[in-house]
Amino acid sequence: MQPRWRKVFLDLIENKARTLLVVFSIAVGVFSIGVIAGAYVIISHDLSISYAANNPANVEIRTLNNFDDGVLTSVRNMRGIEDAEGRRVMNIRVRAENSSTWTTLNVIAFDDFAKNRIDLLTPYQGQSAPGKKQVVLEKDVLKHLNVKVGDQLVFELADGTTKSLPIVGIVKDPTTGAGDFLAQPFAYITMSTLPALRQPELYNRIYATVTTGQDDEKHISDVTAYVKDKLNRNGTIVFRTRTSKTHEHPLASTINAILGILMALGILVVFLSSSLIANTLNALINQHLRHIGVMKLVGGRNRQILFMYLALIVSFGVLALLIAIPLGGQGAYGLAAFIAGELRFDLLGYRIVPMAFMVQIGIGILVPLIAGLVPVINGSKVTVLKAISGDLARAEGKPLHKSPRRESAWQRFETRAAVALAKRGIHIPRPFLISLRNTFRRRGRLMLTLFTLTMGGAIFIAVFNVRVTLHDYIGAIGKYFRADVTVDFDQPYRVDKVQQYAMQVPGVVDVEGWQGMSTDLLYPDGSVAETLNILAPPAHSELVQPILVSGRWIHSDDERKIAISEAVLQYYPDLKAGDFLPLKVDGRDEQWQVVGIFKFVGREGILAYAPLEYVAQRNDLANQALSFRIVTAGHDRATQDRMADTLDHFFRDNGFKLRQAQSGLASLDTASESLDTLVTFLLIMALLTAVVGSMGLAGTMGMNVLERTREIGIMRAIGAVDSIIMRTVIAEGMVIGIISFGMAIILSVPFTYLLSLIVSLAVFETPIKTVFTITGYLIWLGLILVLSAIASVLPARNAARLTIREVLAYE
Amino acid sequence: MKVSSSIIEVKNLTKVYSTEAGDFNALHDVNFQVKKGEFLGVIGKSGAGKSTLLNMITGVDHLTSGEVLVRANGHTVSVHQLDEDELALWRGQTLGVIFQSFQLLPMLTLVENVMMPMDLCGNFKPRESRERARELLALVELEDQMDKLPTQISGGQQQRVAIARALANDPPILVADEPTGSLDSVTADHIFDVFEHLVQDRGKTIIMVTHDNSLGPRFTRSLQIVDGEVVHLTEAGHRSERKRMK
Ligand SMILES: Nc1ncnc2c1ncn2[C@@H]1O[C@H](COP(=O)(O)OP(=O)(O)O)[C@@H](O)[C@H]1O
Ligand SMILES: [Mg+2]
Repeated sequence: MQPRWRKVFLDLIENKARTLLVVFSIAVGVFSIGVIAGAYVIISHDLSISYAANNPANVEIRTLNNFDDGVLTSVRNMRGIEDAEGRRVMNIRVRAENSSTWTTLNVIAFDDFAKNRIDLLTPYQGQSAPGKKQVVLEKDVLKHLNVKVGDQLVFELADGTTKSLPIVGIVKDPTTGAGDFLAQPFAYITMSTLPALRQPELYNRIYATVTTGQDDEKHISDVTAYVKDKLNRNGTIVFRTRTSKTHEHPLASTINAILGILMALGILVVFLSSSLIANTLNALINQHLRHIGVMKLVGGRNRQILFMYLALIVSFGVLALLIAIPLGGQGAYGLAAFIAGELRFDLLGYRIVPMAFMVQIGIGILVPLIAGLVPVINGSKVTVLKAISGDLARAEGKPLHKSPRRESAWQRFETRAAVALAKRGIHIPRPFLISLRNTFRRRGRLMLTLFTLTMGGAIFIAVFNVRVTLHDYIGAIGKYFRADVTVDFDQPYRVDKVQQYAMQVPGVVDVEGWQGMSTDLLYPDGSVAETLNILAPPAHSELVQPILVSGRWIHSDDERKIAISEAVLQYYPDLKAGDFLPLKVDGRDEQWQVVGIFKFVGREGILAYAPLEYVAQRNDLANQALSFRIVTAGHDRATQDRMADTLDHFFRDNGFKLRQAQSGLASLDTASESLDTLVTFLLIMALLTAVVGSMGLAGTMGMNVLERTREIGIMRAIGAVDSIIMRTVIAEGMVIGIISFGMAIILSVPFTYLLSLIVSLAVFETPIKTVFTITGYLIWLGLILVLSAIASVLPARNAARLTIREVLAYE
Repeated sequence: MKVSSSIIEVKNLTKVYSTEAGDFNALHDVNFQVKKGEFLGVIGKSGAGKSTLLNMITGVDHLTSGEVLVRANGHTVSVHQLDEDELALWRGQTLGVIFQSFQLLPMLTLVENVMMPMDLCGNFKPRESRERARELLALVELEDQMDKLPTQISGGQQQRVAIARALANDPPILVADEPTGSLDSVTADHIFDVFEHLVQDRGKTIIMVTHDNSLGPRFTRSLQIVDGEVVHLTEAGHRSERKRMK
């Protein structure tokens, strides 16, 4: 090897701790970028293919009344419909045979599994098609129920009795209810099993595909509106429709947005590691000025020197890539597989993503080069005279070190402060003062270190805040569902009658009768945009606590007025409270005034509220209702479940035609779970920034100690014992840590707002109220103290270990 | 003597350092010439301006006024007209510089230190340069130590390595700033022997700075500096006189 390159090589291995620090900090950033970019590529490719491969329904229609094969055949023959399957979907409470906790499942009855062509199931374990009186579970059920293939599943029937069916298989269902945050897990049976569950052998849902324009949202909703209209006309009342494209997973944009957030954090990590590189190279070049001078003296030109140090930087990058590329490839696939698992679909097989590698290589080489360019260019320009005169500060040109005048200003301040404190009887220990002075000696380095730690801390804290923000919002959404039990009947009953009965049940506190209207929201041209269900609680109901964005909530004297969820803005982006919306009500086009706009989980469709007082009049059902909201004494899940059970039996026993009695909102648990997964990823990224931050601190402390080797030797020569030297160095690290904590507190505020805005837009499609928590601050404070102690103990130990002779020989 | 016969020509050289305390005239109108094959001693007290003068000749520092001409390797160069890179390359090929504090690169072995100038100037192929470095180390009697690191040998040995390095690109001129300053007298004597050998047997021209007046007779010619002015310049010496050594 030529001596010049051999020098570069030796510089690389000479100080292993330094090299490792730089290499790892680059590797962490490059690794995160690789994982996220790779996962992004895999997911965006496989998700749509895998989703489309299961032939997702473009149209899902839920009907209020049951229908039979005749209706289904008519739908199949309708214009624009390629294929349609009828299913019966019901919420049934189930439990494992040996357990007493009930879980609500969405039980789906198929006509014929062999002929299933829409929303295909993917086999996972055992059979994927149940026979008569058998059940197959969706894999997600296993998260809620401790069962396996071969076990019996106990179903709770409408009359209070139970029925056990054997579990014959587990499947994955990537399409049904995809993207529905609040959907309960699925179980599958045949239509022929329905009688065993005391259910009619009739359908209540249609899953259909369209002939053309399978990825054209407008076309699909036109077809849907057409089908719905036809069904309604023939007496099959549609109460809800959902549409989706064939080649785009409904959550694709959410996943992309979340990967985007993670990517942004990854870029931040890279950014932070680049400040460590800049710091390290600055220190390294300063130590190497004499070498540079010597090389120039014997014929080295600027460019040659520059290339040597650039080669050193590239070596850091290459070493980092050796670690980060294989790990990043694995991580990318792991993350993709995890997301796929959450979305119940299969990846198309293990693979590496060349694009992600390219990005990693680009970043791993370019970022250190850019970060190190300034110190290296400055270093390679140093004149021979300056470099070897042995007195760099005296030489002409700008001083490489900070000017002595600043230091004396600091010293003056320090002296004055010490005197002032001493007057008040406060004596600052000498080693601590030395630490403080050391801390501020290298201003540029200190700034970069503080920057890194502060960013890491601010992100870390912000993630905790975002976590409570999300949960707070879920909680707020729950306030739309404040009733503990919802009781639906098959026919309207007088409100006072139901109240009278319900109040006889111990634990029932309040009963409200609600009505509803199914209308269509129209485009300005009169075509149907989407089904709009209007809920009609009594105007003064305490059971809905809306998060109003603008306007007001419903009043009892409102007529043809609604409060509507923000999702309406996708059709009418400029809609304001006070504007009119065209609705199709009972087959007639009407203009309804919007009195208020409120927040709701964006994907759950458009929802509107109107006062019961007016809707009852429209429905011709004065003082009656189909749906009742019941408040119980206790509001915990167990009480709610128990009360739902009791009320169910009670109403049936008293001859009411009960459809179902549902407790609270189990589905919100599902939503919280998926949010926690998201928060976990954010936390991992935050931890990575913290790790890079503390590596930066360790690097800084290492450099500080190295540069002060002589000073430490003198301290020992005049009798300072190891523990004092250790304490000086550790105190210095702590001071930096604490300063960065103070700055992180401030910076975490804008970060929290920004991050929760981005996350809520991605997940809820609407900005949400930001909430702060002390948790993140406390954890970070603990962490930063520990991290800075560790980051300074290692260099401090090295410093203490140096012998006086070594130290004084050090140049 | 004719101007063209000199290898180095210093004309009206003045160097003023501007410091916070005001301007400082470190060299004042210095004029002299060095002939090929001379062993010129520059003698003066500490602070007289000797190092400043060497820095002007090597182009390491800028001059305030005057000119330094060097005629070597077939062309005449006005040192201070070169830009920094030209200067570095020219210096690498024309001048070997030796300091009191050796200035070896601590992480490289002795042979690698000697190879470094050849690598940077590109006069020799990599293979040749190792062979040549070995020969140069043999010249300073360190061939058997060539794979050691600088810290593993004595100061006198380090200075000999520095001399070998200065010879790496076979420059016609060696410039040494108090090369024996940090060595004991026996070791210093040995270094001196090496220089005399280079002048007599290899035809090198050497300028050596020292504050030691007693060394005067050992040079072919010597130049006395006091407060930045040349106060005494001995006439061209007689090489035959110096045959006493070796
Ligand atoms: N970079 C500089 N700036 C200001 N004064 C300098 C500088 N370098 C040298 N000097 C001054 O110039 C004078 C000559 O210095 P120098 O050539 O190093 O002396 P010598 O080598 O003879 O001991 C000294 O007084 C010294 O303080
Ligand atoms: Mg000197």
